[in-house]
Amino acid sequence: MGSLLTIYAFDELWNLVNIIKYGFQAIQHRGSQFYILCTAKDGIKCYEDETLEVSRYALDHVAIAATYSEKNGEKWCISDGNGVGIAVIVDRAWKKLPEFASDLVKGIREGKNLEKVFKSVLANFVFDESDPIPSIQIITNSREVIVWRTSYGLTPLILGSYGFDMAIVSSESTAVDILGGDIKRFIEAGEGIHISRHLAKTFSTSTSKKCSMCLFELLYIARHDAIVDGISVYMFRKMLGEKLAEHLDNDIDVVVGVPETALPYAIGFSHKIRKPFELAFVATGGRRRSMLLSDPFEKIVAIHLKMNPIKSVLEGKKVALVDDSMVTGATMKTVAQILRFRIGVKELHIFVASPPLTSKCPFDIVNLDTKTLLAANLSTDLAKGYLEADSLHWLSREDVNNVAKKFHLKLCSKCFGIDFLGD
Amino acid sequence: MKILLIGSGGREHAIAKLIKRSLLKPRIFVAMDYKNPGLEREAIETGGSYYIVKTTEPQSILKVAESVSPDLVVVGPEEPQFHGVTDILIEKGFTVFGASKRCAEIEKSKVFARMLMWKYGIEGRLYFKAFRDISEARNFIEFAGDVVIKPARQAGGKGVKVIKDTQAYLSRDRQEVKKTYVEKLFTEMKHYRDIDYKILVEQRVEGVEYTSMAITDGDTILPLPLVQDHPHAFEFDIGPETGGMGSIQGPGWTLPFITYNEFSKTMEIVEKVLKALQLEVKDRYIGAFAGQMMLTGIWGPTVIEFYSRFGDPEISNLVPIVVSDFLEVLDKAASRRLAGAKLEIDEDSVTIVKAVVPAGYPDDRVFASNHPIAINELKIKELGCEALYASIEMKSDGVMYTKGSRAFEIVCVGKDYEDTYKRSEQAVSYISSLDGHPLFYRRDIGSKDLLNDRVRIAEKVRVVYRSRAERGFLGKIIVWVPGEGVFENPLIGFKR
Repeated sequence: MGSLLTIYAFDELWNLVNIIKYGFQAIQHRGSQFYILCTAKDGIKCYEDETLEVSRYALDHVAIAATYSEKNGEKWCISDGNGVGIAVIVDRAWKKLPEFASDLVKGIREGKNLEKVFKSVLANFVFDESDPIPSIQIITNSREVIVWRTSYGLTPLILGSYGFDMAIVSSESTAVDILGGDIKRFIEAGEGIHISRHLAKTFSTSTSKKCSMCLFELLYIARHDAIVDGISVYMFRKMLGEKLAEHLDNDIDVVVGVPETALPYAIGFSHKIRKPFELAFVATGGRRRSMLLSDPFEKIVAIHLKMNPIKSVLEGKKVALVDDSMVTGATMKTVAQILRFRIGVKELHIFVASPPLTSKCPFDIVNLDTKTLLAANLSTDLAKGYLEADSLHWLSREDVNNVAKKFHLKLCSKCFGIDFLGD
Repeated sequence: MKILLIGSGGREHAIAKLIKRSLLKPRIFVAMDYKNPGLEREAIETGGSYYIVKTTEPQSILKVAESVSPDLVVVGPEEPQFHGVTDILIEKGFTVFGASKRCAEIEKSKVFARMLMWKYGIEGRLYFKAFRDISEARNFIEFAGDVVIKPARQAGGKGVKVIKDTQAYLSRDRQEVKKTYVEKLFTEMKHYRDIDYKILVEQRVEGVEYTSMAITDGDTILPLPLVQDHPHAFEFDIGPETGGMGSIQGPGWTLPFITYNEFSKTMEIVEKVLKALQLEVKDRYIGAFAGQMMLTGIWGPTVIEFYSRFGDPEISNLVPIVVSDFLEVLDKAASRRLAGAKLEIDEDSVTIVKAVVPAGYPDDRVFASNHPIAINELKIKELGCEALYASIEMKSDGVMYTKGSRAFEIVCVGKDYEDTYKRSEQAVSYISSLDGHPLFYRRDIGSKDLLNDRVRIAEKVRVVYRSRAERGFLGKIIVWVPGEGVFENPLIGFKR
């Protein structure tokens, strides 16, 4: 999975080195294994690196960039020839990218307006459901930029501004915040923005009938402080936590959330049942998204570093442990071991703030292998035993459906074994 | 009644339309810099005529006035005022509606305007520092924080740099831009020989902007309804600052996001400023006056700048809703008989103005100029809207050409924003480029989404300023630099 970041400074006085750097920091929770940056200073140039230091090449007032959760540099391409140069960066692996880019170049070479070329080329790709089209960023050597949100609407795209000086487009609103900007528009599925020296204008293209936002975006990917299509991620998570509490059928003493991404769910849970919410673990060495790591060893290292417990909060207590989403169960297993053997909790009731994950993501937003999904392979009883839990509960699809409806959201839920939840 | 209208743009076309329907049987004579076909038409239709003349040259204007011998002269734009056009006409015995050179200083010199507010302790004032020479400015900007850098003189609405600098991690980059910009602005301001200070650095504020206009004879002040302009070039408030891409007004005297109390407070500020100004320059203020205001958390109603004229495009919003005889009001103001006068408006309607501009505006006027353009006014009228001709010239080939700024302003009126918005969107489609040069306008102006956004921001700001007011903290900012002391200077930045 990748996340996009475009900065267009209308005044040439700006150079974007630090702006891209801090923009990257604001979205790197969505993937920090690989970074790409393209500028149009003295012709199209793209730079890639495994760290965000690649931002040092943003020595211009216009740039498109992305971060990825996999070490995979195939997500961009440059075409150059006859004075036409473009770079295209997309947010997901897409086999058709080279073909798409060369069609674009052809159209531009014929001297047509970039937006028109984009729309007509797009029409040939947009409805191929075997290889769904990602969100796209384009920069040309005349510093024209197009950013377009996939017609499937799976991942968000936010348009922001910094005063009179900059347009900021990003996969998450946090980048706009961190760069000191204001959120101006939640770009809709199939909607794009075209920015050039003399004009900035949004345009729409037809959307796929199967379009909707990925449920995982709201459950896990976005930061708590993000606003996704007008919805506060924190409030959404808190409400799911309240729903989750309805599954409680034991008496408990204390509610804790793990990992850090589970805190809003745990807070919602605790509010609902009027039992104290406590901080239970302290992370070491900064925040890492274990779930987005594909290497299993790296993953377990990340988990272990997150989990130094605050013993006095938990010892001898009946604990409701809220997790944000259980994939392989590796995090939960580690936590359960700590709680049982290092701390000695009296009871452990595990609540997972998502329905059971049972299928692969057809869009590769999250890297899920069905063989490794706990819910797809172990019965609830077996899972309970494996996790050393007194009880194990998941949100039902119905719960998510109800909350999504409250927020007027229709969410892609294929990895939970159903096409959509909400409306 | 013979009226001589001075000025060439959309504002003057709006004034012409407002006075044309007077019962005083106006004959409109226009002195303009180029042949604006809209103004030409108003002149001819009322039995007047027009003169192509440099409107900033007092002697040329005097000649026109002497040959027309008007009952009333209306000076539209600020530049003729700065150049003493009003003064020479008054001296020669003409009745003039328009600020004198000394009074127009309130618009011309941003430093004068700010100093006046501080000297007289008027609410809504911002902290600022003005600079005559570059080295002093250089030193200051090295340590400046969250500020706006402005040319000290009105320079066609251009040249303002707003640098939000509230995040230390990006402050070095912003510092660089500020420094380079100060150098650039000093170079640009060098050729203005009529000012002492060249630039000023001012406290940056956030909030919702609105314009408060008034007509005065120096004693009586007649407020006009509030209007909101949209300075960003592009939709969703993105892109460079322009002279205004369109404006909204109504219903009634205030706007959906400004309370009646805030409107009154604003008028109080305007009254105090006009009083202070006349005392200070020892001259009577006759004409239009406008405050570019912002509702901020620091003060509530806050002054961004003043205009010694009607706002453009803000005056265009009034074209469909003024019920009173507008010419009579202007005439009363010009002859110091405004006491007791009333300005009645249609309080049930809302108006939306959208500017249609050539690509290149505002930063590349050359690219934006000399493009043939056409308008289907009949269709626009069928929608209940009106077209105002602005930066557009009729050339000898009988074709209209852009002059680099806003070409047309389309004014629509209706019962609510939703309906008026729909018609204004249709109306702008009847303007077309004849050479394929792109034209643009802002679809979002007057839309429900944008209006809701303003209401939301105003609500947020209101919570802040009301709480500050309760604590007696309006306008105040305390800065403590550990080891150095406590200051009331919000202009300093992170770097010490």
